[in-house]
Formats: sequence, structure tokens, C-alpha cells
Amino acid sequence: MRYLQKMGGHSQGPPRVGPIEVMWSGIGSLLGMAAVGLIHFKLLDSTGQIMIIGSFGASAVLIYGAIRSPLAQPRNLIGGHVLSALVGVTIFKLLGGQPWLAGSVAVSLAIVVMHLTKTLHPPGGATALIAVIGGDAVHGLGYLYVLMPVGLGAVVMLVIALVVNNIPKERRYPEFWF
Amino acid sequence: MVDSLSEGCALPDISEQDVLEAMKTIPGYIDITPADFREVYRVALVAAQKRIMTIVKVTDIMSSPVHTIQKSMDLVRTAKLLAERRVSGAPVVDDHGKVVGMVSEKDFLVRMGAGQGGSFILIVATCLKSKGCVAAPLRKLTAGDIMNSPAITAREDISAAKAAALLMERGINRLPIIDSNGHPLGIVTRSDLVRGYGRLGTKE
Repeated sequence: MRYLQKMGGHSQGPPRVGPIEVMWSGIGSLLGMAAVGLIHFKLLDSTGQIMIIGSFGASAVLIYGAIRSPLAQPRNLIGGHVLSALVGVTIFKLLGGQPWLAGSVAVSLAIVVMHLTKTLHPPGGATALIAVIGGDAVHGLGYLYVLMPVGLGAVVMLVIALVVNNIPKERRYPEFWF
Repeated sequence: MVDSLSEGCALPDISEQDVLEAMKTIPGYIDITPADFREVYRVALVAAQKRIMTIVKVTDIMSSPVHTIQKSMDLVRTAKLLAERRVSGAPVVDDHGKVVGMVSEKDFLVRMGAGQGGSFILIVATCLKSKGCVAAPLRKLTAGDIMNSPAITAREDISAAKAAALLMERGINRLPIIDSNGHPLGIVTRSDLVRGYGRLGTKE
């Protein structure tokens, strides 16, 4: 196949989902983000701890909006975030003096690690990047970042996904655990 | 052998539109493009076909026990036996019960003036021209004289698909299934194969 021809695409997108799917995607993500948000802003604000990071917004798209996707399954959600956080913190410690390099290496290495461990979860890339560019609040956590906010936050979102995604008759989550 | 068979069959393919229509009936966002799904489907179909080809054993579909003809049997009795049993051919066995050849309607036709690859209507034509019965010269012969030998046979562990390929490749209509001593266990005909695969289709 010719190189430029490939850029033209060759297929079409999947169909738009029905109104019920749209509604439950909205409800699930609202509740999931509310849960981590409440813990972050109401419980932890005074303690200097954090619970919410930007990449959870991306996870919400998958685990409430595309629940059949292999990328949205518990193994990927938890594994992808935790492994990417580990990679991110480690790379920041090694290359933090050069943020452009640390950021790119953290994200790319996180993708490689997620692929190898069958935990590919797109928001993991953001989790690795935030470990580098997240500022003092994140840098100060060191490897604690892996457990909290990342690990614990992902678990909270997973619990909400399990509760909400299984309410409608025609929806089920997860497809698999490990 | 099996490959040559599958090349001959057109695989039931699906279009992207088919996939798209199917996706619309399934609630939830399915994270794959119709083209990618079709690619998965095509590879899976080949795997499924290979599996189906080996799932049916020849022993599942063969006719058993098989009617055999003694090699020394004269053709009058041979023809009568085939007619009584309503078969168009049968394995020929020697004194030890070993399959040594095959005899069928076609072998009679050839001897009656139809020639190799001839037809029944050619015999009718010959018969109408001549006075006596064109089959008369056959009276003195035995099954061993006109049989096709050696017989094309197969063992009992062959798959139905391989048996089908063998029938096609060798241009034969029936395949005796023999044990390690050459004794017939059964016979697979083209209609046995059709019945076997027909049943497979209705199971699922």
C-alpha cells in the first residue's frame, strides 16, 4: 500500500450509540468524578494530600463511556495507572533536570510498559506525564504518588464503575478482570 | 489435500456494512472499526473452517457394515447383489477378506461398449443396433476381471474433509475404510459426506 494513500483512511467509524448508553455514560462519569472530587476537595484539602489528577478525566471517558473497550477494563485501569505512575516518578527522579526529556521519556516508556504488561490504558500516559510536570505538589509525594492519588483514585473510580455500569439491563462491566 | 478443498469453496465473506449493521443492534460503544472487525472475522473464519474440517471423523459418517463382493464371484451374481442392495458399487475382497479392488456400475458400462468415460445412453444406442444383449459377453467374467485395482482406500482415523478431498482428487465416488489388516470397516460415499456436513450445519 502506498504511503500517502494510507493517510486517506480506509474504514468508517462505529455507529453512534443509543440514548440509554449516552445517559448512563453521563451518570456514571458524573458520579465517578464526584467521588474522587469530594475526597480530594472536602477531605484532603486541609491535609495537603491530593486525590484527583487530570488523567482521571480521561479514564472516565473509558470506564463510563466505552465500557466494552479492552482499554477500559479493571486490569487496564488499575494496572495502566499504577505502572505509568511508577515509570513517571522514576523518570522524574532520573531526568527531572530536563523536563522536556523527562516528560517524553516518561510517556513513551509508560506506553511500552503498559503494552508489555497488557495494561494499555490511554490515561496512563497522562499519569506518567503529570509525575513530571505536575509541580511541587506532585514532586513532593515521591513514590507515594503511585499509591495516592493514582492507585487509590483509580480504585474509587473502579468501584463507582462497577456499581453504576451494572444498573441498566443491557449494560455490564467488566468484560474481564485480569 | 484439505487446502485444495478449501480453495475451491468460496468463504462466506461479510462487508463493512454488515458489521456496521450488527454493531447498531448491540448496545454500548464497540471500540473497533468495521474494517478491523472484518479483518478479525476473516482470520477467525479460516481457523474455524480448519477446525470444522477436522471435527468430523470419517467413522462418524461412513456406512457400516459394508457390502463386499468376492473377487471370484461371477458378474451375474455381482450385478444382482449390487441391485438388491441398491448400491452402485462395492469393494471387492479376496479370500482373506482383504479389499483388493472396487467394482461399480461404471465398470459394467465400460465392458458393455460405453468405453472409458462413456455413458448409459451410448449403451442404449449400441443395444438398439445389435441383436443380442450387449451384456452377454460379461456372463463368463468375475468381479475380479472387471474391478478397478488396486482400490483407493483410507484408514479409520482420516477426517471426513480428507476423505472428501480424496474423492475429489482421485475422481472416485466411494472410499472403503479399512483396518490395519486391509479388512473393510465401512465405506464413505459422496452422499455420506453430504449427509455428514448437512447435519453439522443444522446443529448450530
